[in-house]
Amino acid sequence: MTAPRAGVIAGIGASAVAVAQEVGGIVLLTAEVVRALVPPRIDRRELWKNLHKMANRSVPIVVLTALFAGGLMILQAGPFVKKFGATALAGWAAGYAVLRELGPILIALMFSGRVGANNTAELATMTVTEQLDGLRALAIDPVQFLVVPRVLAMMTALVALTVIGDLVALTGAALVARVMLDIGWSTMYHGFADNLRPFDFLHGIYKAIAFGAAIAVSSCYFGVTVRGGAVGVGRAVNAAVVAAAISIMLLDFFLTYLTG
Amino acid sequence: MDAASPSVARRAAGWFQHRVETAGAAVLATGATARELWAIWLATCAGVARRASRRHVQGRPRGEIVRQLYWIGNRSLVFIAVTLGFIGMVMAYEACLQLSRVTGDYSQVGGQLLKLDVSDFAPTLTALMLATRVGAGIAAEIGSMKVTEQIDALRMSGVLPIDYLIVPRLLASLVMTLVLSVVGGVVMYGAGGLTAKFSFAVNPGVFFDASQVHGRHVVLMVLKAVAYGAAIPVVAGFCGLRARGSSEGVGWATTAAVIGGSLAVIVLDFVISAIALVILGGDL
Amino acid sequence: MTEPAAFIEYRAVDKAFGGPPVLRDLSLAIRRGEVMFIIGTSGVGKSVTIKLLIGLLRIDGGEIWFDGRRVDQLAERALVPLRKRIGMVFQSSTLFDSMTLAENVALPLRKHRRLPAPAALDEARRRLAQVYMADHAERYPAELSDGMRKRAAIARTLALDPEVVLFDEPTTGLDPVSARRIDRLIRELASRLGVTAIVVSHDLTSIFGTADRVALLYQGSVRALATPDGLRASPDPVVQQFITGQSSGPMETPGF
Repeated sequence: MTAPRAGVIAGIGASAVAVAQEVGGIVLLTAEVVRALVPPRIDRRELWKNLHKMANRSVPIVVLTALFAGGLMILQAGPFVKKFGATALAGWAAGYAVLRELGPILIALMFSGRVGANNTAELATMTVTEQLDGLRALAIDPVQFLVVPRVLAMMTALVALTVIGDLVALTGAALVARVMLDIGWSTMYHGFADNLRPFDFLHGIYKAIAFGAAIAVSSCYFGVTVRGGAVGVGRAVNAAVVAAAISIMLLDFFLTYLTG
Repeated sequence: MDAASPSVARRAAGWFQHRVETAGAAVLATGATARELWAIWLATCAGVARRASRRHVQGRPRGEIVRQLYWIGNRSLVFIAVTLGFIGMVMAYEACLQLSRVTGDYSQVGGQLLKLDVSDFAPTLTALMLATRVGAGIAAEIGSMKVTEQIDALRMSGVLPIDYLIVPRLLASLVMTLVLSVVGGVVMYGAGGLTAKFSFAVNPGVFFDASQVHGRHVVLMVLKAVAYGAAIPVVAGFCGLRARGSSEGVGWATTAAVIGGSLAVIVLDFVISAIALVILGGDL
Repeated sequence: MTEPAAFIEYRAVDKAFGGPPVLRDLSLAIRRGEVMFIIGTSGVGKSVTIKLLIGLLRIDGGEIWFDGRRVDQLAERALVPLRKRIGMVFQSSTLFDSMTLAENVALPLRKHRRLPAPAALDEARRRLAQVYMADHAERYPAELSDGMRKRAAIARTLALDPEVVLFDEPTTGLDPVSARRIDRLIRELASRLGVTAIVVSHDLTSIFGTADRVALLYQGSVRALATPDGLRASPDPVVQQFITGQSSGPMETPGF
C-alpha cells in the first residue's frame, strides 16, 4: 500500500517541526543554565554528589571501551604500516586517531549512554512523581538546583574521563601492537612521543568539553520535559541518547573544521 | 603510637578486603549476567528455528517482522545518514590533514579510506548509532511492558515472550543493520569525498577509487553487520525483560541496553578484526 | 460591604487542557485562618484549583487574588515570594528520594533562610518532632510508610512558616489511623498557629471532622459552599449524592 505523495511530505514537515521544537527547547534551557551561572550560585552539595556519582559509574566502562578502541586502531593501521616497513609510524597513526577523534567520540558516546541516559531517567522519574513541582512550590528553581550542578558535573566528568580514556587507549594500542603485530613497546612509545603534538591532545579535550555540554543539556532537557508515566520515561531516555549522538557528530565536524 | 598501629593495619586490611569482596562480587555478577544473556541468545535462536518451521505463528498478527523492518530501518535512515555523513567528513578531513603534514600526497587517501569504510567503519559506526537508537527503543518498549506486567499477561495466554517480542526484532535487525551499513557507508564515503575536494582540492576522480577493496573486505563487512545486528536486539531485549520497579526500572533498562549494545559492538569489532588479521596473515 | 475582604479569592476562573474546560467560571473566597475543604469526584478539577493559586498551572480566564494583590499574571521569578507564604503538600508527598528526612526538611531552610547546613539540620529535626517524626529523621523516604512520608512532607512545607498551606488529598491511600492523625495535624495548624488551610479531599470523615467550610466542585464551578452541617442539610440532590456516597443519582461523573 503506497502512501500518497502529500502524506509523505506532510510527514517530513511534521518531523521537521518536531525537531525544531526540541532544538528550540534545548537552546532555551541552555540560556537558562548560563543565566543561572552568572553570578554563580551553585548548590555545592548537589554538585559534589553528582560529580562523585557520574565519575565513579563511568570509569570501568570507559576503561574497557578505550582499551578495545585503542587495540582496534592498531589493528587497522598496523598491517598497512608494517607493509611499508614504517613501524615507527604505527604509534603515530593510532595515536592521532585516538587523541583527536576516536577517543573523545567513543568516550562521549559511552558517557552519554551510561551517565546521560541515567541522568535523564532520574530527572524524568522526579518529574513524573511531582518532585519537580514540589521544588517549585518551595520556591526553589529546579534549573538552578538540579540542572546546573548536573551540567557542570557532567562536563567535568567527561573531560577527566577523556584524559584517562586517551591514556588507556594508547596503552591498549601498544599492547595489541606487541601481542599481535610484533611491534615493540619502545617503537610504539617513540611513535607516540615523537609525532604527536600537545595540540593534538588539547584538540580532543576541547571536543570533550563541547560534547559534555551537549550531552548534559540534552540529557536534562528530555528528563524535565517528560510526559506520561513509565512509558514516557523510556521515551525520554531514548530521545536524549539519540539527540546526544547527533550533537556529538555535528560538534565533532564543526570543531575539527574550525580548529584544524 | 604502637598501640595505634595494629588498629590502623587492621582497618587497612579491612578496607582492602572490602575492595576485593566488591570486585569479586562484581565479577561473579558479571559472570551470572553473561550466562543469562547467553541463555536468552540460545532461546532466541530456538525461537527463530521455531518460526522458520511453522507457517503461521499463534497469537501474532501477520506482518510483525515487516513492522519491525520499517521501525528499525526507515525510521533510522535519516539519523544514520546524518551521523555517518558528518563522521565521514571528519575522517576524510583528518586523514588529509595528517597527510598534509607528512607527505602531501593525496593519491592513496580515497582508496585506503574506502577499504577501511567497507571493512570496518561503515558497519561499526552504523551499529554504534543503532545501539543507541534501536537498542534504547527496544529496551524502553519491552521494559515498559515488563513493569506494567504485560509480559506476565503474555505468558498467561501461552505465548513465549521471546518468540513474540525478540525474534521479530532480531530478524528485522539482521536485515536492516546490513542495509543501513551499506547506505551509511555510501553517505560516509561520499561526504568524505566532498570534504577532500573542498578543503584539500583532491580531485574526485582520484579520491573515489575502489581498487583497494577486495572480496575479503566485503565479507568482513557482511560478517560484522550480521554480528552487530544480532547482538543489539538480543542485548536490548534482555535488558528490557529484566526491568524492575516502575519508571526507574525502565530508565535503567534503557541505559543498560545502550551501554551493553555499544560495548558488544566494540568488542565484536575487535574480535572479528583480530581473527581476520590472524587468518589473513597480517594483510588486512 | 460589611464582610472583610477575602484573604484568597478566585474570580470567574476558567481552565481547560486543550479539550472541554475543567474549570468554568469558578468563584470562591477563602477567609484568613479558616480550614476550607474543596471536595468533589475524581477528575473534577480540585487539584487544578489549588495548583493555579501558586502558579504551577496558569489560568485561561478570570482572576486570582491573594492578600489584596492579583497573582495570576505573575512571572515565574515573581512567584518566589508568594510561594514562601503559601506552601503545598502534594498527593504523592514528593520527598526527594536521595535525601534523608532531615535533609529534605532542611532544604528550604538552607535555600531561603540561608542557614548553614548543621543549623538547618537541627531546625529540621525540631520541625520533624512537631509532626511526631523525630525518631526517623535520618532515614530515607523509600524506607518509610505512606503515612510517615506524608507527615514528613508536611514538616517540610511548614519549614518556612507559611501563612497558607494547600493540601492535595492528604489522606487518600492512608490507613484510617494515619488519616485521622493527619486530620488532627491540619486542625492544630489552624487553631494553634493560625494557618489558613485549603484541603482538597474526597474523604468524608476528614471533611466532617476537620472543615470550617466546604466547597463542592461540580462541572467546573462551585456547586455548594457551606459549613459541614449546612452541607448535610442541603436540599440539593447532587450534594446529597456526594456526601452520602451513592453510586447512582443525578451526579454526572465524567470519565467513569
